Amino acid sequence: MKSFIKSIVVLSILVFGINNTICSQNSPTTHTVLIKKMKFIPEVLKVKKGDTVVWINKDFYPHDVSKYDDNAWHSSPLDKGESWSKIVTETEEYYCSLHVVMRGQIILTN
Amino acid sequence: MKTIKKSTNQIFAILIIAIFSNISAIAQDKVTLTDPEVASVAVVANQIDISYAEIALKKSKNKEILAFAKRMVTDHSAVIKQAVALVTKLSVTPKDNAVSQSLNEGAEKTKKMLNNASAKDFDKLYIDNEVAYHKAVIGAIEGLLIPESDNKELKGLLEDVLPALQAHLKHAEMVQSKL
Repeated sequence: MKSFIKSIVVLSILVFGINNTICSQNSPTTHTVLIKKMKFIPEVLKVKKGDTVVWINKDFYPHDVSKYDDNAWHSSPLDKGESWSKIVTETEEYYCSLHVVMRGQIILTN
Repeated sequence: MKTIKKSTNQIFAILIIAIFSNISAIAQDKVTLTDPEVASVAVVANQIDISYAEIALKKSKNKEILAFAKRMVTDHSAVIKQAVALVTKLSVTPKDNAVSQSLNEGAEKTKKMLNNASAKDFDKLYIDNEVAYHKAVIGAIEGLLIPESDNKELKGLLEDVLPALQAHLKHAEMVQSKL
């Protein structure tokens, strides 16, 4: 009887652990992109579909985050310390429409 | 008429070169600046570019020129705000000097040229000047202001400003290539 209960406990731990790992592998992750010294850091970010990307402006100049190059989606201008986030559903190129030479890329991976 | 226009552009180009050669000469003459003088040059250099942008906002009808000029006003005002906050914190009063005076003298001539430029010629004259001005200011910050700054925070602010000036230069060159 004792060994039966022990087996059940071990099995439960294993099943719960595996299930938990699968869940954490599939659950969306939040990534951070810093806007610093006129650059998006990192400039290229690999994410999974459904992940969230948060951009934080560390410069004392205002910046925005806009889809390159039609502004189909965009943040409002972000002052120093302000942030903006987006759930990613596809590979995207983006830029700062205020400083058009600043570019970044989000690449979806499996 | 074409000859007159060409001559005007040539005179303007020569003036720009002369003004910036003067600044480069000052930088190369091993001028020594105190921190209050460095602060003065930094503020003056930013104010000058704002004054050029204000002329562009009044005279240009070109969307890209207007967007660029608006950006210059916002960004250079942000630099001045940071510089003022720093000198206030350090209890330093910016001090007028030969470099800031030379910058102001050059700026007066450039503003006169921009104000007198015809609507047809203005956009090119403005953006050509922006390209030349940003190149000169980047050179002056790297070659004169940063080496002459003793205070770490002042040096740090100047180093922080460089990426923005480089981005402005690239932006100006992009607009220039489309005109």
